[in-house]
Amino acid sequence: MAKFMFLQRGACESPPEMTPEQMEAGMKAWMDWVKNGTDEGWLLDPGSPLGGTGAVVKPDLSVIDGPFAESKELVGGYSIVEAANLAEACELAKQTMKLAGGGKIEVREFANVGQ
Amino acid sequence: MKPSTNQLVEHFFRHESANLIAVLTRAFGIRRLDLIEDMVQVAMLEAMHAWKQRGVPDQPAAWIHRVTKNRILDSLRREKTCEKAITLSGQSIDEQESIVDQWLEEEQIPDSLLRMMFVCCHPTLERKTQIALTLKTLCGFGIPEIARGLLLPNETIKKRIQRAKISLAESNVKPELPSADQLTLRLDVVHDVLYLMFNEGYSTSHGTEPIRDDICEEAARLCHLLCESPCSVPTSKALLALLLFHAARLDARTDEDGAVILLEDQDRSKWDRRLICVAQSWLAKSKTDQPTTIHLEAAIAMQHCIAPSVKQTNWETIVILYSRLLQIRESPIYTLNRAIALGQAGDTREAMAQLQSLRNREDMKSYLLLDCALARMHELEGNTTEAIDSYLIALSKAVAPHEKELLEKKLRKLAE
Amino acid sequence: MSKFMFVYRGGHEDMEQISPEQMQQVMQMWMDWIQGGTEAGWMIDGGDALKPGGAIVNSDLSVTDGPFAESKELVGGYSMVDAPDLAAAIELAKSSPMPKSGGTVEVRELPNLGKQE
Repeated sequence: MAKFMFLQRGACESPPEMTPEQMEAGMKAWMDWVKNGTDEGWLLDPGSPLGGTGAVVKPDLSVIDGPFAESKELVGGYSIVEAANLAEACELAKQTMKLAGGGKIEVREFANVGQ
Repeated sequence: MKPSTNQLVEHFFRHESANLIAVLTRAFGIRRLDLIEDMVQVAMLEAMHAWKQRGVPDQPAAWIHRVTKNRILDSLRREKTCEKAITLSGQSIDEQESIVDQWLEEEQIPDSLLRMMFVCCHPTLERKTQIALTLKTLCGFGIPEIARGLLLPNETIKKRIQRAKISLAESNVKPELPSADQLTLRLDVVHDVLYLMFNEGYSTSHGTEPIRDDICEEAARLCHLLCESPCSVPTSKALLALLLFHAARLDARTDEDGAVILLEDQDRSKWDRRLICVAQSWLAKSKTDQPTTIHLEAAIAMQHCIAPSVKQTNWETIVILYSRLLQIRESPIYTLNRAIALGQAGDTREAMAQLQSLRNREDMKSYLLLDCALARMHELEGNTTEAIDSYLIALSKAVAPHEKELLEKKLRKLAE
Repeated sequence: MSKFMFVYRGGHEDMEQISPEQMQQVMQMWMDWIQGGTEAGWMIDGGDALKPGGAIVNSDLSVTDGPFAESKELVGGYSMVDAPDLAAAIELAKSSPMPKSGGTVEVRELPNLGKQE
């Protein structure tokens, strides 16, 4: 088995108007996703969304404050999953995409092979 | 989760890269050397990337071997032409894979390294090329490191190595151990290359760099590998003894600022006693009816290493050893050193006479150590003025800053 | 205290030239930095490196190649640290080996999900 990281990029920045009911349904879907993933064993770490602000430290140690230039590509959150291969990890990412409802998910394998 | 606190052994990457290149070249031939080197580089980078945050796995060597092997086999499978080449040699890639696995086992690796040593020291290559190629493939040095160690431009080293690869491929050199009738001849070259490689690192005539110590260390490591193999002859062991006697004094040879300290001024408590003992035992193992110049040089180095001080050095024995060296090979450097030993043993008059006659030799005209030796003899006789004059002559011949520094220090001391 | 994610991008552009010895030194620098932070308590998780390449799952559930390994923006790895505020986290990021290798560290705060310390 290999370990993959999902990097959520550019998810809808200002969420559309949602009723409390819709919000609750959305929350529940995510919680189910976490529960299912954990029960089935493929979700190693549900991860976290990342705040829209931050900073970038450059090689010369200068600091650029967020928000970032390419906000479309901004990493908005991450999760860590386990899958047999990249294709399988992409299938899991598709499930996640249904919840995220926008943006992109970058699927990346951990460098630590066979450890 | 705690990161692993695993530390890799010193020079792990360097030596694993050498091991892999040796094994894979043995398996796939010299013609593949460029591809093999590229793949090893990629695998090493992958390892660095994978381990730098999580720590080193339990069996780092096995990890790197696996990654490199898979990369090279993948790349060979992709090449259609290679299919043919490999079938010609009678083996499929799968068969080849299991052979590579065997050769990558720890106890099998020295055999591949040894074969590579004979490839790098192939008689069709120039001596300088042999040294550069050895440093690159057998010691895992990068081009800039070799260039820095040998004080040559990157481009020169790169070209030398590239030419060597082409020449080896054209002559269809195989990574094999030499046949019995060729062995002595081929070993002579290997000994010569290791000796010169060590000298390159050891000679301080162009300043100091840590990389130079590494070159010395590598020469001794490869020589040790040779001595542990059935290919070695008594001279191999004498060479190892010689290198280790010198290596034992490496740390005492320079001060904190990297300035050179001559034998007579070295703090002998800084000499590596353990290494001297190891060297002595190799010298004992090198016994033969026909001692070579290497045997005699090692015996001289030992005399220096076991002496508690310059005064208490067995100079008479050293004179005899230099006389025997001169019987085997005429060399003004041997004559020079024999004269110094004579002077130290008390016969400064004869020593001076011999040194003066060396001054007439054209090839010794710019050799500042000759003037230093004369100065030393004057010092021993208590003639400070003459000693100063000789050091001044030496100073006028000095080129490298640290040579000048050393001589100026000597002069200051005498002036006190 | 807040939790921050360090996202490492780029760096090591001269990879064909780097010698095995230098690789070992770079690696040692990272391991020492992470170990130091772990012992000092601010390094929550040294994190991991990610292989170049991978895949992108788009919002229409199509899968495309990418990201490009050559990109300077490629995320190469991450770590998790603890810091009182963004300014302190930035200082920790500066102390990482990443800038020395010519790469950048993106410092991102994880939202406090209402959990009290």
